[in-house]
Amino acid sequence: MQEDLMDIICCPLDKSDLELEVTQRDDEGEVIEGRLVCSECGEEYPVEEGIPNLLPPDMREESPA
Amino acid sequence: MTDLAERREPDLVYQPAEDSRLLGDATREFVDEGDVVLDVGTGSGWVASVAAEEGADVVGVDLNPHACREARDRGVQTVRGDLVEPFRNDAFDAVLFNPPYLPTDPDDEGDDWLEKALSGGETGRAVVDPFLDTVGRVLKPEGEVLLLVSSLTGLDEVTERAAENGLATAEVASEKFPFERLIVLRVITDNHQTD
Repeated sequence: MQEDLMDIICCPLDKSDLELEVTQRDDEGEVIEGRLVCSECGEEYPVEEGIPNLLPPDMREESPA
Repeated sequence: MTDLAERREPDLVYQPAEDSRLLGDATREFVDEGDVVLDVGTGSGWVASVAAEEGADVVGVDLNPHACREARDRGVQTVRGDLVEPFRNDAFDAVLFNPPYLPTDPDDEGDDWLEKALSGGETGRAVVDPFLDTVGRVLKPEGEVLLLVSSLTGLDEVTERAAENGLATAEVASEKFPFERLIVLRVITDNHQTD
């Protein structure tokens, strides 16, 4: 994810601001691995393979149903 | 490009079809350079990439992790999420959505990703309704939605649901097929309309 995405995303549960913690960037500075933490409720959302997973915790499984 | 081809997963991700093309045409007409655009249920990312070609700043969102990866490989900035839930108030000039819109008998309904991309539940509106209930929050005051539906989805019901949420709908494109008509609705807030 590009860091400017932070301007439009929010916590899916309470719509509060997220804080970005980066563990890995690529050569162009894109965030590849890390996590997003809600500044209000503290819920954590992973960033994996450059894709932030902003599903609520109960919807996160890889299966469709 | 080999990498892209290898990672494409046709059985897991809805691929561009007639409905995508109709929504893509409307996107070219209504999305302007510099617009901040959200493509909901981005799937392969094809419609999102059409908006990007118009010079828009585009983000795709999808429930399906395979779709998220495929759209990202297409160069679309992608978020895994449920409809517009992970986005801020007043964030977008335009929201595009080619939803699952086909009415489906619950007995025939599978639970794989492709089925989920197509099936709109018994009414055809199982995903369209919650979208109309929530999309207004993320639209800028002058923002607009381009929503693809089928005549099978129930146009009157969709229009009514939009109105309940303070949204006005207008048909901006349509195409006839043997058993249905595909329609692109432009949806704007009532406030916008009176300006």
